[in-house]
Amino acid sequence: MEETKTTRARKRLTDLLDPEFMNRLDSLDVLSRKILQGKLQGERRSKRRGQSVEFADHRPYVAGDDLRFVDWNIYGRLEQLFLKLFVEEQDLTVHIVADTSASIGLGEPSKELFIKKLAAALGYVSLVNNNRVSISLFADGLVGQLANMRGRNYIHQMADFLLSASCEGESRFENACRQITSGRIGSGVMIVLSDFFFKEGYDAALRRLIGRQYDLYVIQVLSREELSPDFGGDLKLIDVEDADAAEITVSAALVKYYKRNLAAYCNELKDFCIRRGAVYALANSVDSVESLVLNYLRRIRLLR
Amino acid sequence: MRFLTPWTALGAAAVAVPLLLLLYFLKLKRREQIVSSTLLWQRAVQDLQVNAPFQRLRKNILLFLQLLMLAALLFGLAGPILSLTGGGARRHVILIDRSASMSATDVKPSRLAEAKRQARIYVESLRSEAFFRLRGDRDETMLIAFDSRAKVMCNFTSDKQQLFSAIDRIEGGDGGSALGEAIMVAQAFSLAPDDQPANESSQERAKLILFSDGRIRDADRLMVDAANLTFHCIGESGENIGVTAMQARRSYENPDDVEVFSTVANYGPEPVTTDVQLSVNESVRAVKSVSIPAGGWDRGEPGKVAVHFSLSSQDSGVLAVSQMRRDVLASDDTAWSILEPAKKLNVLLVTEGNTVLELALKACPLAGLDIMTPSEFDANSVSNFSLQDLYDVIVLDGCQPARMPRSRYMVFGRPPKNIDVSVIGELQGQVVVDWRPKHAVLKYVSLTNLFAQKCYGLDLPRDAEILAEFNESPALTLVRRDGSVFLLAPFDILNSNWPFEPSFVLFCYNAVSFLGMQVGQNQEANLLVGEPISIDGLGADQSVLVDGPVFSGREIKASPNGSVRFPATDRAGIYGVRSEGTDSRLFAVNLLDSSESNIAPRRALVFSGQEVTAEEGAFSLANVPLWPVLVGIVLFLACLEWFVYSRKMRI
Repeated sequence: MEETKTTRARKRLTDLLDPEFMNRLDSLDVLSRKILQGKLQGERRSKRRGQSVEFADHRPYVAGDDLRFVDWNIYGRLEQLFLKLFVEEQDLTVHIVADTSASIGLGEPSKELFIKKLAAALGYVSLVNNNRVSISLFADGLVGQLANMRGRNYIHQMADFLLSASCEGESRFENACRQITSGRIGSGVMIVLSDFFFKEGYDAALRRLIGRQYDLYVIQVLSREELSPDFGGDLKLIDVEDADAAEITVSAALVKYYKRNLAAYCNELKDFCIRRGAVYALANSVDSVESLVLNYLRRIRLLR
Repeated sequence: MRFLTPWTALGAAAVAVPLLLLLYFLKLKRREQIVSSTLLWQRAVQDLQVNAPFQRLRKNILLFLQLLMLAALLFGLAGPILSLTGGGARRHVILIDRSASMSATDVKPSRLAEAKRQARIYVESLRSEAFFRLRGDRDETMLIAFDSRAKVMCNFTSDKQQLFSAIDRIEGGDGGSALGEAIMVAQAFSLAPDDQPANESSQERAKLILFSDGRIRDADRLMVDAANLTFHCIGESGENIGVTAMQARRSYENPDDVEVFSTVANYGPEPVTTDVQLSVNESVRAVKSVSIPAGGWDRGEPGKVAVHFSLSSQDSGVLAVSQMRRDVLASDDTAWSILEPAKKLNVLLVTEGNTVLELALKACPLAGLDIMTPSEFDANSVSNFSLQDLYDVIVLDGCQPARMPRSRYMVFGRPPKNIDVSVIGELQGQVVVDWRPKHAVLKYVSLTNLFAQKCYGLDLPRDAEILAEFNESPALTLVRRDGSVFLLAPFDILNSNWPFEPSFVLFCYNAVSFLGMQVGQNQEANLLVGEPISIDGLGADQSVLVDGPVFSGREIKASPNGSVRFPATDRAGIYGVRSEGTDSRLFAVNLLDSSESNIAPRRALVFSGQEVTAEEGAFSLANVPLWPVLVGIVLFLACLEWFVYSRKMRI
């Protein structure tokens, strides 16, 4: 009974990640450009002074300090009591925020699978390296969260969680961000996976995430149809989320304008991120997740 | 550039242009396509439209092309014409000369054909009744063909086809050219009340367009506004040789002898030698070679040569004198004359007894002289109307018969009634003061000593021909009335000294010869072009058939009093009139018109002092319709639009 459950979970995990891919992911780890405060003792340096092997500073002894950390060598030379301080090593929180609004369900191949695979890969890397992993799914708000996973044991649970999520509803990114930041998830690396087609804009929401102590990575996933539309004629375009209609007559000029607008939109987002110290990446859902993770994300130093 | 139907086009434009623009604003039925977000699309569409509704029309080349196309269509609907000559007057009268000189072939194929061709071009270029017409200009045109008489071929119309067929119906004639009647007709028609009072063009003066060679006889007598007349001169050369006079006469003394006199004129600048041929009943009798000096053809004075033939013939026949040199005008190359059979004259003397007169007439070479008293004549003329056939000349001596059959009369004493000659009193002691010695009646006659003790003073009609005059009244007068000819001597010869003068016998000889031979029936058979053929003495409503040089078997009905008039002698040649079972009676219709034989085109016409010069240069289309060009442009634009559309739709 236990075994069948495991095999089913494995099967579902392999829907998202190939075993071979997982092998290659084993050698990776998540990097943070910031030194962030963790919750538990872990493998990362923190700003805290604490117990570790790495010396940080001396300070005069005050009554009540642990006598184990007194530097007796200095006492021998100077006959004054100094305490040795060490850099505390803490764990890293990796927070993956994935968009599951209705617009993600579109595209050929669909952006949904791409985002889920990417989230799974990143989560896998983080869990393998004993980081604390939280996965939040949002649409018109926070629709699901799997928080504070740590260790390999959570891999299958994470895969189950990702695969059971369905793409529906409008996207209210700011609303979701407010809920995420108000949650009790510590600071760390935050990776946002979405198409960033938010009618209400992304500025305020991203500002919330940057304002907190997050090392923010923004990965915009777009489908091939969105990058270069291939339909023609007189069309009534219907927004899958809010059923808003746009009447267009596809012409070379219009497509040119669309592409120009799309590029401007992506650049705007990129500029927004760079100006605020976040990292931006654009992914096409046609491309393979493997190459993105193994090459591109390493190049932007999200992974090591 | 002018427009025939500008209002139609404006109306159509008012409907079509907003409609086209509206079509561009209309929503299309669109295919639905679900996308992840309309965010960027809306921005793209906004970029394309830049928000304002009229911005979408900007840079829309399809709409631009369609508007151009529509503009071209509407422009074509307005009926644009390129006016090369100003079209001020909207009513035109086309006058086409069809006189004999227009048959000349110096312009190929003939001057008349060229005039018709130019008239067709002129009509073609007129503004016609437009198809889509709310309120537009149109030209109305009238067509008159004229020789010595005017013939309305087509009344004012704007129907070009009608005008074309009217132009085609014009046939050449051999008449002289007189413009007066044509202009009078044109003016009468253009002043006639129009059946369409709304048509403002009827108020305007009609413009006259004359196609002629300029040989117009009565031009100097016409009152024509030179500014209103456009003259197109047709013809190049003036070289022509023609028979301008011809007469055949039997000798009075020996009726078998026939004298033929003719004049051949050369209108060219060089002297020519030509053969002149005489034929009788189409068999050649004589040919003479004559040299004709050059004429000053620009001054209109031809070189002339008189040609005289003598022949002997007892029978009747058709004499023809032809000049054999080829020239551009054929209708004046031959002249015809009908030769009556040889005969001697029968004379009737109606008198109470006049020995002098009787003896004088007996001295003449007559076939017979009958003498009647006035009462016998009255009785005969009532019962037997054939007196006119029996006697060639009737001499009335001091009597006034109650009825006068149609004949040639020599009247001594009081003139007869009903011939428009009235007696205004008796005059005493008259002497002759003047006479015309060159007239045939007075040839070799000297009236120097003629004295009449008593004579009648006469009030003569205007057409009377006075041959001799007493000091207060005419002495010898020739009056023609109702087909009869009267030679009047209003005095009793016994009350004068004339019987004792040698001139009396000579006068009687000349007078009988003149009346019997020269003004008789013989004269009626030789006509000029345009003079009517008239025959009397037929049965009431009897129909006769007329054969002419260009037609045959035209049937005419006699009037109730038994006479027939055939006026359509507009071609020179031999005409025959026949009725059932009788031989054809022949008539010779001749041109014999020096002014028509002179075919040199005259480039300037002088109308009562005003000179009209011919339009120079080749005659070309005055109004070019532009709509075919515009239709071509529309087609081109349609192709271009299709091309642009297909290019634009390819992403």
